[in-house]
Amino acid sequence: MNDSGRRNFLIKLTTAFGGVGVAATCVPFIASMDPSTDVLARAETEVELADIPPGGVRTVAWQGKPVFIVHRTPEEIHAAAASDGSIDPQADSKRVQQPEWLVVVGVCTHMGCVPNKEGPGWICHCHGSAYDDSGRVIRGPAPKNLEVPPYRFVAADKIVIGKA
Amino acid sequence: MSKLLIALLLCATPLAYAHETALTKVAVQTDLPTMERGADTLMNNCHSCHSLKYIKYRDLMKLGISKQKVDGWRGELGLDTPLLAQMSESDALQSFGTAPPDLSLMTKARDGGPDYVYSYLLGYYLNASGVPGNHIFPETKMPDPLGVSGTSDPAQLNSIKDQARDIVSFLNWAADPQQSARLRLGYYVIGYLLLLTFLLYLVKNQIWSRLD
Amino acid sequence: MPARIMKWIDHRFPLTNFVKHELTGYPTPRNLSYWWNFGFLAGFVLVLQIATGIFLAMHYKADIALSFDSIQHIMRDVNYGWLLRYMHATGASAFFFVIFVHMARTLYYGSYRAPRELLWWTGQGLLLLLMATAFMGYLLPWGQMSFWGATVITNLFRATPFFGDQVVVWLRGDYTVGDATLTRFFALHYLFPFIICAAVVIHLVALHTVKSSNPSGIDLAAKDNIPFHPYFTAKDLYGLGWFLIIYCIFVFFLPDSLIEPANNIPANPMQTPNHIVPEWYFLPFYAILRSVPDLVGGVLAMGLSVMMFAFMPILDRSRIPGGAHYRPFYRWQFFLFIIDMLVLGYVGYTPPTDSTLLLGQVATLCYFGSFFIIPFVSRMEERWLIKRGLPPAVIELMAGEAAAIERHKQSHEQRKGARL
Repeated sequence: MNDSGRRNFLIKLTTAFGGVGVAATCVPFIASMDPSTDVLARAETEVELADIPPGGVRTVAWQGKPVFIVHRTPEEIHAAAASDGSIDPQADSKRVQQPEWLVVVGVCTHMGCVPNKEGPGWICHCHGSAYDDSGRVIRGPAPKNLEVPPYRFVAADKIVIGKA
Repeated sequence: MSKLLIALLLCATPLAYAHETALTKVAVQTDLPTMERGADTLMNNCHSCHSLKYIKYRDLMKLGISKQKVDGWRGELGLDTPLLAQMSESDALQSFGTAPPDLSLMTKARDGGPDYVYSYLLGYYLNASGVPGNHIFPETKMPDPLGVSGTSDPAQLNSIKDQARDIVSFLNWAADPQQSARLRLGYYVIGYLLLLTFLLYLVKNQIWSRLD
Repeated sequence: MPARIMKWIDHRFPLTNFVKHELTGYPTPRNLSYWWNFGFLAGFVLVLQIATGIFLAMHYKADIALSFDSIQHIMRDVNYGWLLRYMHATGASAFFFVIFVHMARTLYYGSYRAPRELLWWTGQGLLLLLMATAFMGYLLPWGQMSFWGATVITNLFRATPFFGDQVVVWLRGDYTVGDATLTRFFALHYLFPFIICAAVVIHLVALHTVKSSNPSGIDLAAKDNIPFHPYFTAKDLYGLGWFLIIYCIFVFFLPDSLIEPANNIPANPMQTPNHIVPEWYFLPFYAILRSVPDLVGGVLAMGLSVMMFAFMPILDRSRIPGGAHYRPFYRWQFFLFIIDMLVLGYVGYTPPTDSTLLLGQVATLCYFGSFFIIPFVSRMEERWLIKRGLPPAVIELMAGEAAAIERHKQSHEQRKGARL
């Protein structure tokens, strides 16, 4: 290798090595904007189900978002199982772990408003989307059913919402 | 001019710590068994009056203390509850006339750091008339927590010293839980910088050699 | 394509020209030593402080009930928050260290002398801005030292004639340093770095008008100037490597050595710590404040001690070229001044006793004295040097430069003649 070739190589190597350092320095800055550990600690929410009567609804906060927990009556279960919804068809059995408990994230899949419980199901007052008692969209503009969060039963009457 | 640099560097480092009573040096440990023993002693003897409000029960688990033990300490409290004192501040004021300080930053908040806390814990004595005092912090309202003032048996004294070291080691972690991560990253960063500076030295020399 | 884009831009904005004249092709004396690295380092630290500061501000809360906790939140919960905070805290010390070396170099080599007076004065303004920024930033952690430091320094304004007490209350927005003070200090601490950036631009415009000084103290002929890039970019980056090594040793291994222990105790307006000290970079000036047994006098002395540097171009009227390198008396004076600064720093750190008070008063007199005797010393030195003959190096340098300039003129004349 001639002299100028070696010089070029050295400069390129140093530039690359320095570039790696600059990139690595960016990591802590970017990572500092990620949720901090005390925010991450809120990733799971424990909910006691015992005090929700049949037909009752409870709204709990999970990661700062509302989650609707519905203690469904046999009639409601029957009505929900009867159809698969129309806009985003899905069987009710796929949306619940135990038929009497419906757990859905209460955020409209259209623009992120919180739908209100009205009669059977929910109506979002932002743009008029409607959901049935399985959280499935039955009237637009919402494109998708209400999201079912990951949750698990840790006891017969206690669930933990968060990483299943 | 190198004299100047050295002089300025000397100026940058904090000048000698001024302290009336000489502090006893303590070898702060960072291994889990020592810190866990310290946590045990602290939770049993100190936690009733002193809080560690910047430490949560979850942090103790992250340190490596078993969930079972942490559950025993926290009882009904959630994992994200800070370690507040069991005694309320007003009760403490009534009993001691002063609020027991929070311990989260104790090893950083005194001149001498961990050495201060260690010397303070072992600084209790009984004067001629049998009244207890403390060499390091004479105004203290805290009764001798480890019973060092009434002990003369060397074996027992040694075990008290070990206890004090364990507590200080735990408090040292509590004051700066990121310390081990910081040191680990530090070695990589310094290593990288040495290599980079060496490369930059070669580049600089090559570029300047063009001038001759 | 890139060439076309550059052409499009250059037609509308002198980008290529600017880069060539002010950055890559900027003529720089080839004999600059490593002491000339510190200006670049100061710029680097400024960028570092702004970057870490902005990211810290995303997590910090300027409220006396929350600020101490929010620092602990940054140190414990925020991802790499401890790193950002230690970088920022260490960066403040690094900034002053770099600036002090930068100033010491200017004093030693006489870089403040004509025609660089305005350059030096813009630098003096930058020093004041930096001090104000550092002082306001120090309140933000809301520890005991923060609180009492801010209390003492805002109290200095009681020395204002007629309205002293009102000015102090106005500065604080409260009868003591309180929530209003903290919030405004945060707002200004965020603003000032951008004013510093603007002042740096002015500093650089002045520099690029008069060009860099050099260790000989004599402006070099064009032949001894080399383009900034690649020579000084390489040299500055190599120096940066060493700076970063020392800086990172402090950030990763000794970060608490620069933070007073008492600042790990939340501010308590009801109890002053036994021993309050400012950060190390304010110690000499603080010692001068304490040495004068009068409130107004002390404040004036302290203010003047920072501003004394601005008088250097007026005080130093020696006709001997260059700085301390060729001026034995001035060199001695320089090193004695540095020692005096260290003595003042020591006095500022120790609790006041009769002996340190006396030491501080002597050192304060020496501090101001070393400025005021410069006109006399330099005249004496001039006579002494001329009587003994100027150092051969100076004569050689002056003759060499004169000849080079003469040759340059002649060739210029010839070229002009040929064209005619």
